[in-house]
Formats: sequence, structure tokens, C-alpha cells
Amino acid sequence: MVTVAISEALDNKFIEDPEAEVIALSPKTLLATNRFVCEICGKGFQRDQNLQLHRRGHNLPWRLRQRSSKEPRKRVYVCPEKTCIHHHPSRALGDLTGIKKHFCRKHGEKKWKCDKCSKRYAVQSDWKAHSKTCGTREYRCDCGTIFSRRDSFITHRAFCDALAEETARVSVASNISSLTSNSNANYQFTGGLMRSNMVQHFPAIFDPATAEGQVGDHATPGLSLWMHHGETLSTDSSLPGMHQIGPPSIETVLHGDPFASFSNGGQQLNGQLSWIYNNNLASSSSGELTSTSLIPTSLKEADLVSVPSWFSTRHHQHSMPASGMSATALLQKAAQIGVTSSSPSFFGGVEMKCHSTQVQDGSEYNGLLNPSHPSVAANMASSLQNTANPYSNMYSTRHQTAQKDGGGGATRDFLGVGVPHRRLMDGFEPISVYDSRTNYPMKESG
Amino acid sequence: MSTSRQSEPDDPSASEKWAASLLQDCAKAISEKDSTKIHHLLWMLNELASPYGDCDQKLASYFLQALFCKATESGERCYKTLVSVAEKSHSFESARKVILKFQEVSPWTTFGHVASNGAILEALEGEAKLHIIDISNTYCTQWPTLLEALATRSDETPHLRLTVVATVVSMGGSVMKEIGQRMEKFARLMGVPFEFQVVRVASQLGELKEEDLGLREDEAVAVNCIGALRRVGVEERGDFMRMLCNLRPKVVTVVEEEADFTSTRSEYVKCFEECLRFYGVFFEMLEESFAPTSNERLTLERECSRSILSVLACDGDGGGDCDRREKGSQWCARLMGAFSPMSFNDDAIDDVRALLKRYRSGWSLLPAQGDDLGLYLTWKDEPVVWASAWKP
Repeated sequence: MVTVAISEALDNKFIEDPEAEVIALSPKTLLATNRFVCEICGKGFQRDQNLQLHRRGHNLPWRLRQRSSKEPRKRVYVCPEKTCIHHHPSRALGDLTGIKKHFCRKHGEKKWKCDKCSKRYAVQSDWKAHSKTCGTREYRCDCGTIFSRRDSFITHRAFCDALAEETARVSVASNISSLTSNSNANYQFTGGLMRSNMVQHFPAIFDPATAEGQVGDHATPGLSLWMHHGETLSTDSSLPGMHQIGPPSIETVLHGDPFASFSNGGQQLNGQLSWIYNNNLASSSSGELTSTSLIPTSLKEADLVSVPSWFSTRHHQHSMPASGMSATALLQKAAQIGVTSSSPSFFGGVEMKCHSTQVQDGSEYNGLLNPSHPSVAANMASSLQNTANPYSNMYSTRHQTAQKDGGGGATRDFLGVGVPHRRLMDGFEPISVYDSRTNYPMKESG
Repeated sequence: MSTSRQSEPDDPSASEKWAASLLQDCAKAISEKDSTKIHHLLWMLNELASPYGDCDQKLASYFLQALFCKATESGERCYKTLVSVAEKSHSFESARKVILKFQEVSPWTTFGHVASNGAILEALEGEAKLHIIDISNTYCTQWPTLLEALATRSDETPHLRLTVVATVVSMGGSVMKEIGQRMEKFARLMGVPFEFQVVRVASQLGELKEEDLGLREDEAVAVNCIGALRRVGVEERGDFMRMLCNLRPKVVTVVEEEADFTSTRSEYVKCFEECLRFYGVFFEMLEESFAPTSNERLTLERECSRSILSVLACDGDGGGDCDRREKGSQWCARLMGAFSPMSFNDDAIDDVRALLKRYRSGWSLLPAQGDDLGLYLTWKDEPVVWASAWKP
């Protein structure tokens, strides 16, 4: 079974009434804005409510004030676009507004463009709603980092360590919430809430004892299956958090058939849950959700604030540090950084720069080279002294600057940390052994 | 040499691009086999170079290494060493840190991601089962935003299978495993049915075969090549593209850096010049994008050293992973042999523009001109990255 588009899932349930009258409106009709026309004066209105309000003004006798034809049969609307999934009567939408919006969004021209982020919209109200919030949001990850850009937030989130712990808790909370069936919008809303904060606000549904970090005993096939559907679960530590969950029933659920009796319900729940993510819950920065936000009237498919609202702050109650690093690991890391920052460059060039001995002393440079290659050394030294050196100015300038910094002959790397002098090269033997601590080359020892 | 000059702020003879002239002179000396000059210049460079200094000093340092290995014919050996060093210090945490930071401060990689995702989403629209074959060097950072788009844009969320092709050097086993787990978790979060697998290619990328990928009958395939084609041996590029064509993909996205190390393979000095030019731009870009003491920047610079070594000090295609870049126009000519071009739709281009707006100034978008296709990312008006999309 397939998931229904977010707004449509809420505006229209699956049309299962075989007696429904299937209506196919033309694109022109669907895009027309003044669909509702007063039969008395011919004035057009965008919404039926507005038309009704207007009709009252005509002072009609009571009988005629009622809608002229009481619809005996339910009307469903198909999309005129042949390639569209809603073209088929079985996938018709039950609401005129719904089909109009669908057609406009999906197949209509996207005339409205956000100038901040270049996102385009076919429906003006979608665009307006988006523009209000575009660029004003801040996205906060559970790890505490704040992002002003949605895309970098999403990417960060996918790789964030906080996600690992999150998933574990989510599965527990969702198991609890999937206890009852899913026809009640109220339930769906709370059921969809992965945030265990919600547990505290709806004690009637949840056992308040199963607060953050605690393991619930409610191992139902519900959302954990949804969470894993479509993929084979690895039995190793892919979800370390999960394995901490005690009750064996959850384990069996995880490894069970992900598509067991779950089909439609699960998918619909999936759709509901996506709606939850997408709904603008960010207004509830403290995590409190009022019942008004349950009502999807203001829901816009375009107002996708999915990830951020899901991930607003809440404090962690688990004892592990956010980075998940043990003390030993931290120390090791510090040691590594300390060593690498003071290690020399490939040729130990930095140290050489700061050496204060006289340049003209050819013997200094013999020290650079293996004495077993005296010809090379002599070459180098003599060529230095004899050739008109176009780079001498450059060299001496840098030498002076380095000397200024280095002070009395102590060799330092750029961080000002003293390092032992290292020989440049052993003849011209390439350096092939790397010090695994520093990841820098060191002399071949043997 | 006198030591009396104490403070010489900007010696005019110490021109801004001292590294370039020294390095180029040395490359010339090597190609002319002038050993006196070679030794002299190597020594000079060594004195002045530092991977911790300014751009010139850094370039001097990394290029010096390549020149030295070229002069001593020790390129392959040095390359192997660099590879093993990299492998030892490589971890998921370090790779993640570096790439995410890089993407935060520069659109260098995200440009290709956004353009490619746009093309992929368009080409796979309406498909229920997607299979993306990812041959890239960006550790799957491209996919979270695509997953999010799949979850929110479509009426029905398709099933996504992601196959990452990893060569030995770029992505170690433990790193890929961790990445796979994160991707799986994230896909679950997004509500996208997801499968992940890694296909390892033993030696050169050109050895990748269709059988290795495990394609299924009912899926729509997209091939995503980010910095991938340049890793295929030059002579094998045509065959590789034909192999990709045989996978019957709905779209092939290609992103490459704008440099030509291929056509000048046999002319050392010219190749050297181009290499220096490209990495000069890259290092300068890094300097202006990162904070001065950034460790991530240092890591990125070090990673360049392998490429530089491979191109300038190793025979043939390179010590291990080939790294012979070609420019967009050159890739176009090759790809036209197996594919037809697909232009980026307005949404994708809008997305790229919006992306660039979020970074510091200096970046812009340039559609390819004339016969060429694709999109260029330019930095200070110089094209640096090329993105394109192709269909069979």
C-alpha cells in the first residue's frame, strides 16, 4: 500500500465508498478561482462559505435558503492529468478543494517564488505561508548545534551521534502510542509524537512512568515495524540503543516480518507521522503542544518544516556524554593532537628555517645530507655560494623573519612549541617510514 | 648572505607567487635533467616550504614532495606510504568532521550534490523503486537531503536502494559501515524504505563490473559520479562509460573538478603548470573559506598531497588510484559517446542559486556555453567545479 500525500491524508480519507459519484473536472475548472457562483446575481466566490454568506444577503425565503440540491451521493473528484495517480477513480479525492489544490500544486505552473530561497509554489497561499517563515527559522539539533540553513541541518542530523540515541527512544515511545487503533485524529497526533516530552502531556494515553530514557514494556508491532519497514534489519549493532531495551518482545518484533498485518494502517500512520513532522510545531519551542495545533486547517503541504520541529531542544537524561567518548579515548585524542601539532613538516623544513647558525657555513648543510654522499653535499654548498642566486634575497628575508621569531637558536615549529631538530634527509633516500603516532615521516631506522 | 636586515616587511623581489616560480623552475629542471639546478631548487624549496604557513608555503611543501619523488623516482613508494598513513588515521568521526565543516564553509562539494539531486529527482519522478549507484568521494553527505526530498515531495514515498562503490583508498571498511548505519537510521527517520550496500573495487575503479552491483529487474537506476570518472584509468574511460550505459540508468550525474591533467600527460612541465594552477586556486579558496587555524583545512590540504603525487610523480595513471582530471568540455566529448545530455530543470538551478546565496560571496553559477553542457561553479569568476546530467 502506498502513503497518501500529507495534506490529502488529512483532507480526505481513502475513498472507499463504491457508491460515490466520480466527477472529473477539467483543468480549467480546477484552476478557476471563482468556482462558486450565486444563482441570483451571478457573483463568483472562491469559497463555498463565502457564497453562502453572500446568498443570505439576498433575503431568500427559508425553503430556498437551503442548498438547492441536497447531495444524495458523495462526490469524489479525479485528477484530469492522465499520468497522475489520482486520475484513476479508485484514487479519487473526496474534496473539491483538495482536488483543486492537488492539481494546482502537482500539475500547475509554479508562478510564485520565494525570493529568499528560490523555492517555487503553484498555490499562492502556500507561497505566502512559506515566505512568512523562510529564513527566520533556526534549526537546533539534539546535540545542541544550531543551524540557520535547513540543508546543512539535515545533513548534520543524518550523521549526528544524537540520532543514534534518539532512534532508540523513539521506538519505545512509538510502541507505547500505537496501542490503540488509528482512526482518531487526536490519537494520531499524539501517537505520532516521537518526542517523549509528549508523554508527560498526555497521561491519559501514555503511562507517565515511561518517561524519557525509560524502557516501556509495550512491545506491539506498531511503529517499530513502520520504522523498519522496507529494509532488512541487521542483527548486529546497527541500533545499539535498541539492544538496551529489555523486553524480548520488542526484539522479536524488530526481527519479525516487517510487513505483517500492518499494511494500510501502518502506511497511513506513516503519513500521519510525516504530517506531524511537517506541521509547524516549532512554535512550541518548549515542546508543549496545545490541542489547537491538532487541527490541520492551516496545514500546508508546502510548509515543510519537517525535520526542525522534530528536533527542537530537549534535555538529555541519559548519562552518556553527548560525544559518547570514554575518558581513555579523549585522552588518546588529546595526545594525538599534541604530538601532531609539534611534529615537523615533510622535510623538517620549519625547524631549519629557525635555526640561527650562519648560512654561509657550508658544514651546516653537510649535516643535512648523509656524509656518505659528500659529492652531493659539496655540490649543494658550492652551488649555493657560487651561483648567482636569484633567490638569495627571498631566502634571507625569510631567514630574518624566522630568526626574529625564533629567538636564541631554539627551534620551534609554527605553534611556538619547541621540537627537536630533525635531519633533513639521509642522502636522497626517500623517507618511507611513517611514525604512526604522528602520521609524519620519520627516518628509516633500519 | 647578510643577516643585518632585521625587518623587511615586503621585499619586492619576494614576489607574491614565489612558490610558483620556484616550483616551475624545478619542474623544468627535472624535465631537462639538470641535476645541479634540481638539487639547488629542491633545497631552496625545502627551506621555504611549510604545510603550516601561508598559501605559497603550503603549495611549496606539497609540490616539493612530488618533485622530490619525481627526481628520485620514488613516487609509487611514497604514494603507498601516504595511503597507509591515511588509512591508519582515518575514522568515521574524522571524516565526518572534515567534510561537514568543508560543506559548511564552501559550496565546493554541495554544488554538485544539489545539482545532481535535482537531476535525479526529476529523472526518477514517479518511480516506485529507486536504485542509486553512488561513486563519489563525499561520504554519502549528498543523500540526507535527497531522502528528505523523497519523503516530502512525492505523493508516495518510493523505496530507495543505495549502493556505494568504494575503492580501497578512499573509504575504509569501518568508515563505510558506520556511514551505512547512519544512513539507514536517517532513512527510517524520514520514513523512506531504504537499503544500503557497499561494493568494494579491489584495485582501480575502471575494474567495476555490472555484476558487482546486483541490479534488480524492477528498479529505476541512477548513477551518481562525483569525482569518480577521473579515478578511472585514462585508457579505460570509454569502456567504463559504456559499462555504465549497460546498466540502463535513467540518469547519470557527473560532477568533476575543472582541471586538465590528462591531455598533458606526456609533457611534464605543462602538466605541472596546470596542476599548480588548480591547486593554487583550491588552496586559496580553502584559506578564504576556513578559519585560519582550522584543522579540517589542514586535513583537506594533506589529502591533496596524494593527488598531487599521483599526477606528478607516478608513472602512467598513478600509484594506485588514478587522479587524472579532465575539464568539463573534455568529459562532455567522452560522455556524448555513450549518453545524451540532460539539462537541469528550473527547480534544480533555482536550488543551486539558493545554495550559493548561503555562502560567502565569491561563488557563482555559470551555465556551460556553446557546445558544452552542464553547469559550472565559479569562484572569483574562475570555473572550478563542473556538474552535468546524462541519460541513455
